Amino acid sequence: MTKARSLAAVAALLAMAIVPLMTTPLGAQQTDRAKQIGGKFMCMCGCNQVLTQCNHVGCQTSAGMLKELDQAVAKGETEDAMTQAFVLEYGTKVYAEPPKSGFSLVAWMMPSVYLLVGTVLVIFVISRWRKRPVHQVAAAGGAPGISADQLERARAQAARETED
Amino acid sequence: MAVDVFGSFALVLALVCAAYAFAGGIAAILTRHPLLIKSSRQAGIATCGLVFLATFSLEYLFFSDNFANAYVVAHSNRDLSTFYKVAALWSGQEGSLLFWSFLLSIYVVSVLIAYRNKNGELMPYVGVVMAGVQIFFLMLNNFVASPFKALAAPGADGVLNYVARGDGSGLNPLLQYPEMVIHPPNLYSGYTGFTIPFAFALGALLARYPGEKWIHLTRKWTMIAWMFQSLGILLGAHWAYAVLGWGGYWGWDPVENASLLPWLTGTAFLHSVMMQEKRGMMKVWNVWLVFCTFLMCILGTFLTRSGVVSSVHAFAQSSIGTWFVGFMGIILLVCFGAYLKNRDYLASENQLDSIVSRESSFLFNNLILLVSCIAVLSGTLFPVFSEWFTGNRISVGAPFFNKVNIPLGLLLLFLTGVGPLLAWRKTSTESLKRNFGWPLGAGMAAGAVAFALGFREFYSLVSLILCIFVVATIGLEFYRGAKVIRARSGASLAASAIDLTMRNTRRYGGYIVHVGMVFVFIGLAGSAFNRDTQKEMQLGSTMQIGPYTLLLQSFDTKPEKNYTAQRMIVEVLQDNKPKMMLYPEKRRFATNEQNGTMVAIHSTLKEDLYVVYAGDSPDTQLPVIHAYLNPLVKWIWFGGVVVVFGTLIALLPNQRAVLVLAGARHPATQPLPQALSPSVTLREGHD
Repeated sequence: MTKARSLAAVAALLAMAIVPLMTTPLGAQQTDRAKQIGGKFMCMCGCNQVLTQCNHVGCQTSAGMLKELDQAVAKGETEDAMTQAFVLEYGTKVYAEPPKSGFSLVAWMMPSVYLLVGTVLVIFVISRWRKRPVHQVAAAGGAPGISADQLERARAQAARETED
Repeated sequence: MAVDVFGSFALVLALVCAAYAFAGGIAAILTRHPLLIKSSRQAGIATCGLVFLATFSLEYLFFSDNFANAYVVAHSNRDLSTFYKVAALWSGQEGSLLFWSFLLSIYVVSVLIAYRNKNGELMPYVGVVMAGVQIFFLMLNNFVASPFKALAAPGADGVLNYVARGDGSGLNPLLQYPEMVIHPPNLYSGYTGFTIPFAFALGALLARYPGEKWIHLTRKWTMIAWMFQSLGILLGAHWAYAVLGWGGYWGWDPVENASLLPWLTGTAFLHSVMMQEKRGMMKVWNVWLVFCTFLMCILGTFLTRSGVVSSVHAFAQSSIGTWFVGFMGIILLVCFGAYLKNRDYLASENQLDSIVSRESSFLFNNLILLVSCIAVLSGTLFPVFSEWFTGNRISVGAPFFNKVNIPLGLLLLFLTGVGPLLAWRKTSTESLKRNFGWPLGAGMAAGAVAFALGFREFYSLVSLILCIFVVATIGLEFYRGAKVIRARSGASLAASAIDLTMRNTRRYGGYIVHVGMVFVFIGLAGSAFNRDTQKEMQLGSTMQIGPYTLLLQSFDTKPEKNYTAQRMIVEVLQDNKPKMMLYPEKRRFATNEQNGTMVAIHSTLKEDLYVVYAGDSPDTQLPVIHAYLNPLVKWIWFGGVVVVFGTLIALLPNQRAVLVLAGARHPATQPLPQALSPSVTLREGHD
């Protein structure tokens, strides 16, 4: 039941995410398409900005790249063909985001791995804290290396020696 | 004595004094000799004084147009306004490193003087750590990137002679903007400020203090550093928005990311520290969070200055990166060593009573912040890794970071609303219903209305729902507290809310900071609806964007002292009625033959009309206007102001002491003392 609910929730989220895509006007202009594809590349002038966002004064690189894209769109080339042409011309540095294949997959997977590992760790910590015996906590001598007395003495020393 | 020689000499002496403060401090710790303690502290103060002298010397060289100094020649010119001669100090590698030492010295001298008669046993440890950090930066100032190098040229006999130029190359046009005078000092104050909690945390660990005291001592220092870091990031974003002319404020550039890393870990620390104060938990975690925050500051500086990642904001490539790698290695070794030796003193004192509790929400808050930090870091460094492993450098740009961080940001926003509603230790179902009902209802209602009105952008819709939810939870907290005070005092609700805030400034100041962050999220959500258009314009021609019609009336050339501006005079019409005039301009700086832009922005809470003179068309030679309509951007800057205001409130002392359980050493199953007893104290409040 829970699984079914989860699937339904994911489906609903996906549906909501797809709605904006479906509402994109079908008769979009060619320049819009060039702009949309241009958003997937970096400007190669060294500004470290996405191609369609680089308009710093005097940047001839972005103007040239956008012109290339416009021409390719006018010729009816596919996005894959345009991407290949750009990678051939500028190298893999031209990607605005790593491609979802090969070594680049690592970049996409890592954040999910961090989140997953982190969540498991938090859950582990929570369950460990919950299971900790009360007497052990009360004594505050949970650490194996020192006794509760030593810890209390250290605390008293810290309190004695410091003031805000 | 020439001023540059004086400055250079002051830097050498500062290094000597810092070395004495470091070595003398260690000797003082070992011998506990009062004279050694005093002399090492005084050496620390002298170090700071000498760094101040060196910094003022360099500023003097700028103001006196001393073009015999290489740094002044590279970053200033005679016509540069006084305002920017101040900013020229940190516009290059050498000066900005000296400025770093300068700001660090302000913090160090403040700590040494503020605690000169306090914390006698702890301060030598703290002094040694601070001196260690100062030594590193002073070594850079003296041996790697000295700002006091004189210009020299080989004479006829081949021997180098000192020379002076008639004028300098001038300041980078991108830096000739008012925010550049305040953005770097704020950001650097954030970076350097985290040295203080780091020094106290490491010092307390070395001194075998169990944990509470360094937290109390450094709370304000951490908040000040965090506030400066937040302000620095936002001012940097505003500078990018107003100067770079690409219509955005955050491009996920490596240097921008570098500033975000310590902010994320610092924010995690500011939250998790409450677990330690309130419940005596997460001591190891907090110590490591502070260590990591400081390391992130150094790592960020390394990324900006080493040239390891390419960035439009980075300083010139140099060998300085090796020094930073070495320093980070030493820090890690010292931190690990101290931790392994004294970790037993950081034992947790409590157990977790329930998963549905404030403690859990803090854990998840820290998880999201840390995941975001590591994701940003690994994305920033991925081009380097990809080159190592595959031989091809693969770029990671804004689309990647947006895809990764927007969901994390929304999760964090959700926790911002949930956290304050959960009680410490355990939250009952009844309490959940009572606290969550209205805020959740308000959020969902707002979402439904927005959806019905045609609002379809998924993340923006979720963001809107969460923003309303968070504001409602915080509003409810203020309302409930103020209602109790009003019932007792008879004052108005607003006066009671102010009274409530001033009684527990940290808690309610924190809520105000959360409201500021909600405003920032509102502004960020608006970016999903940005529009832009570009057109070659003739005199009298128009272009349309949203409800605005832009009419090019004329253009002129305006010679200024340091540059010549080509200005477009654009009339903005709305519904065919004149609304305002805008003057986007392009600037030509003669000294370095570089161009700059000055964007014209009409900003309202609803949207920004952002007009750029994008240059002249290479084909027709006609001027090109690029116009953007960016919704809700002003909320970001307004949110920043609220964040700073909230932090300042949180820094104020409470008007009345708040009763809290001292030490929090009792597990939940033990009965709490009913009356005032030695285990209950009056302390400056925290929630």
